[in-house]
Amino acid sequence: MPRNSASWFSLVPAYRLATLRVCLAVTSLVFHVPKFNRFIDAYTSSAYHVPPPLALVPPLGQGAGAMLMMLNYGAAAGLLLGLYPRLCAWFLAAIGFYVMTLDPEYYAHNAQFHLTLLALIGCSSDRLSLWRLLNAQQHDSDETCPAWPERLIQVQLSIVFFYAALDKVFNPHWGVSGAVLATLAVRDHAPGLASLQALNQAVIRAFPGAVSALTTALEFFLAVAFFFRSLWRVSIVVALAFMIYLEFLLRPGVFAWDTVAALIVFVPSADRSWRLMDNPQPAARRWSAALLLRLDWLKRLGSVPIDAQHCVGDTTWLRLNLVSPRGREYRGLAAVRMLPIVLPGPFFVVMAMARFGGGFLGSLGYGPWYDLPFIGLAGWLLLWTPSAMRIVARLAHEVVARGVVGTGRR
Amino acid sequence: MTPSEIRGWRRHAALAFIIAWVAIQIFVPFVQKFEIPSFRYRWARFGWAMYSRLVPRYEVRLFRIRPGGPPEPIPNIERYVRGYRSPEPMPMLAIYVSEDEVHDRFSRLVSYLARERHDGYTYVASIRWTSYPPAGVPDVVEFRATE
Repeated sequence: MPRNSASWFSLVPAYRLATLRVCLAVTSLVFHVPKFNRFIDAYTSSAYHVPPPLALVPPLGQGAGAMLMMLNYGAAAGLLLGLYPRLCAWFLAAIGFYVMTLDPEYYAHNAQFHLTLLALIGCSSDRLSLWRLLNAQQHDSDETCPAWPERLIQVQLSIVFFYAALDKVFNPHWGVSGAVLATLAVRDHAPGLASLQALNQAVIRAFPGAVSALTTALEFFLAVAFFFRSLWRVSIVVALAFMIYLEFLLRPGVFAWDTVAALIVFVPSADRSWRLMDNPQPAARRWSAALLLRLDWLKRLGSVPIDAQHCVGDTTWLRLNLVSPRGREYRGLAAVRMLPIVLPGPFFVVMAMARFGGGFLGSLGYGPWYDLPFIGLAGWLLLWTPSAMRIVARLAHEVVARGVVGTGRR
Repeated sequence: MTPSEIRGWRRHAALAFIIAWVAIQIFVPFVQKFEIPSFRYRWARFGWAMYSRLVPRYEVRLFRIRPGGPPEPIPNIERYVRGYRSPEPMPMLAIYVSEDEVHDRFSRLVSYLARERHDGYTYVASIRWTSYPPAGVPDVVEFRATE
């Protein structure tokens, strides 16, 4: 159990679980439900079935199958909108596990993980509909719910990474040989990213043992880090980087996306610690409270009106001005690059829709649109270039200055 | 005054659920992964063993024959199993299933076909393991059924 076990039954801000619920609903709608409905369709239109492993599992008829397919979409939509979300989540989880027991071919690790998260989000009593999340009322940040579903999701993540790592220790194809890495069916990418994939493969094939050991160590680290609040910040960054890499390398169904969504339970919420400097002048309201505050599902933004005199310094065309909890001010593009950190929920939804919508287009032969999230990610990283260059320049300047001082002394 | 934590029966129910959930989540993958009582490691489905093994690949040919005759396609095979073809080979992956499950699936399928069609033909499923075949399994396994 996490260190602070006394807090399992305390009330915490409900916005984290509500945001996670919306993210899981989106991945259900764009990936899980279509996939499992295909299974139901294939099962009910086949005359031959393997006997289910449990004799108690009832077979599925054509009419019941059609109804389940409709109900699956209805439940995913209910989960998204926040209409009977607990019922919808448990329904999706139960039907998913039922379908997986109908035929072993329908099993997948990523599906099991998704259904597990759905079952856990079904324990949440956040009582926040999508409408409430999108409500930009400043005073609406005091909704609470019991903490234990959040803690259980944290423990679940730990368990998954722990067993994944343990498997690699005992498995003869991982360990120090890394034999399985050379056989992985890596995914195709668009030109540019394809070169990066080729380079990545060359590195894996050159050092399979090292990559295997690194993966195992990374998974053990995450399993441990999720238990300690002091390591949460670094574990979020490490897990995010690991999942992006996994998605780039293997595109493993919805696993990477669900893991990223689940990381929401580690971030602060309802603290209004980020300040959005709200310029009342109409021309400067492009990034007004009307938009950003509606996307602030975790209720981290506090709108602070600023006077016209203060606005004089804000000459960027974006007129976006954010102040971090530590008092650091971000303007223009610097503020834009902070938005995915401040508003992770909506950015997750956009990226997931781009990925699975792009995957759908790709399956129709319209090209590698599934790479859209990587293009978005590259654009976001590009926004950090000026800061990175400034840091490099400052370091270089310091090194040169020390060199000059050292030479002068001699 | 708003309570700061849950109390009473809700707390007890939540605690019972948490203990049951965590126990299952720890116990089930463990016993799947480590065979009891020897605690020998094995690959298992419900063990969070993602990308854990060299995925066996195989080809299946489904056809029917008369004694001494050539292989013939099984009519309306799509009606029996959606997505299956006959008589051309179908490449398949055994990602999450064991070789026993693969063999069981196709031996049952040909028995079912023979029983359903009841036309004097012998129904055949020929499985050829192409990559990373399971240890101790011959490269080609054939199942036949006649009614």
